[in-house]
Amino acid sequence: MNRSEFLSRIFVITGIILAIGAPLVFWTRTPLIHARMAENGGWNPDIIQAEVGQPLDLKLTSDDVVHGFAVGQMDMQSVDVLPGKVTDLTLIFDKPGIYTFFCTRWCGLNHWRMRGTIEVSGSSADPEPASIPMYVTLDLDIDAPHESPVVPQQIPSAIRGQELITNSPILQSPDYYRSHSPYQAFTDLSHTTLAEPQRWDVVAYIWQSNTTPESLANGQQLYAQNCAACHGENGAGDGVFADDLAASGEASMQTMTGADNMMMQSPVDFTNPTRMLGASPALLQGKILRGGMGTGMPMWGSIFTEEQIWDLVAYIYSFQFKYHY
Amino acid sequence: MTPRFSLLLFVMAGLVVAFVPLPVPPIAPQERTFRIEAGQFAYSPSELKVNPGDTVTIQLVSTDVVHGLYVDGYDISIEADPGQTATLTFTAGKAGSFRFRCNVTCGAMHPFMIGKLNVGSNNWLYRSIGVALLAVVGVTLSLKQKT
Repeated sequence: MNRSEFLSRIFVITGIILAIGAPLVFWTRTPLIHARMAENGGWNPDIIQAEVGQPLDLKLTSDDVVHGFAVGQMDMQSVDVLPGKVTDLTLIFDKPGIYTFFCTRWCGLNHWRMRGTIEVSGSSADPEPASIPMYVTLDLDIDAPHESPVVPQQIPSAIRGQELITNSPILQSPDYYRSHSPYQAFTDLSHTTLAEPQRWDVVAYIWQSNTTPESLANGQQLYAQNCAACHGENGAGDGVFADDLAASGEASMQTMTGADNMMMQSPVDFTNPTRMLGASPALLQGKILRGGMGTGMPMWGSIFTEEQIWDLVAYIYSFQFKYHY
Repeated sequence: MTPRFSLLLFVMAGLVVAFVPLPVPPIAPQERTFRIEAGQFAYSPSELKVNPGDTVTIQLVSTDVVHGLYVDGYDISIEADPGQTATLTFTAGKAGSFRFRCNVTCGAMHPFMIGKLNVGSNNWLYRSIGVALLAVVGVTLSLKQKT
């Protein structure tokens, strides 16, 4: 082997290594994130590191069915993660912290378990203290039953309530609305001359005046996307997964105190006035925020913003009250 | 009868069976609504029957993962997440039998998730049975003539 042949061999081999290696290095720098149904492992990897202000490139693909990807408490459009395709996404984080990313397309009974975290490191100029949820400041026990001892004979109407209220203005602050259940508001009105059905109508009006059509529409959209599969499209607790949830509740050992508690695996019926009229917005906010209750209810605190939860709460009451809009 | 003449006769009869339009009793178009539950990997109900000209509304309810419904021949589709019923309304203008299939990858058996939309009676089936019977008769007769 002469010298020039030797050199050309080295040249060719280096070329081959570069041609294979360079794309490989670039490929591994942004790893492919695989999405699977929660039963089969969920996200892999499920912890992603990022830095404040630095763009984070993500490649997403699905190994089984259609999934979605979004980061909680972030103003972003969710993207679909399709089997056999790679979705590219670039995120920039303004603040350090631990963010939760989650699946946005229903992919089965355990869809909501499909979550992961993005750890964003970096120094923040002004660390904002987390606001304490209202149920904590009010010292509400959100696991205890809060039932309304009286329920209206007919669905309370905000339209009738508004007519009643014109001659005797009863304006209630947002703080009053959030911390009182409809039943408490109903008893607070007992000093007036109104008859019971009229008092319920006024309560419906107070509830309506503390929300807006935009909030209700936003709440309805969030409800359809995140709640309706279990709680039912009409709020009756009869979603497509309700039976499956009850069956898995019987089988699981999550509740150890007997069959009564296991019944709690059934999603709550929002059309039940005894339950709903005894619950204050702060209580519902707490339940959505924290989830749990020994049931399959997910924890939404890391995903929804405070405003989104209030919109949802306002929408959930619309299963009880007849609103103007 | 010469063999050539009888062959011509059978071919003519076959063409008549295959292509002559049937007298169709006029049926007033109706509005029909179907609620289809889609689960891995089947539709329930999986067969729909309508008359030509009917306005068909399909409510697709998914019971596990995201499913779709695409109607062959009509080239229309919908997609339903669990908890979000999707609705598709169309006029069944074309007569015949059409497959509908899931158009969202929903798992391993996804390609086998199919159903059928029948618009009017399945005339092509009866016509092809008629042609096949005619062919059997013709072949038997020609074999008899040869012996």
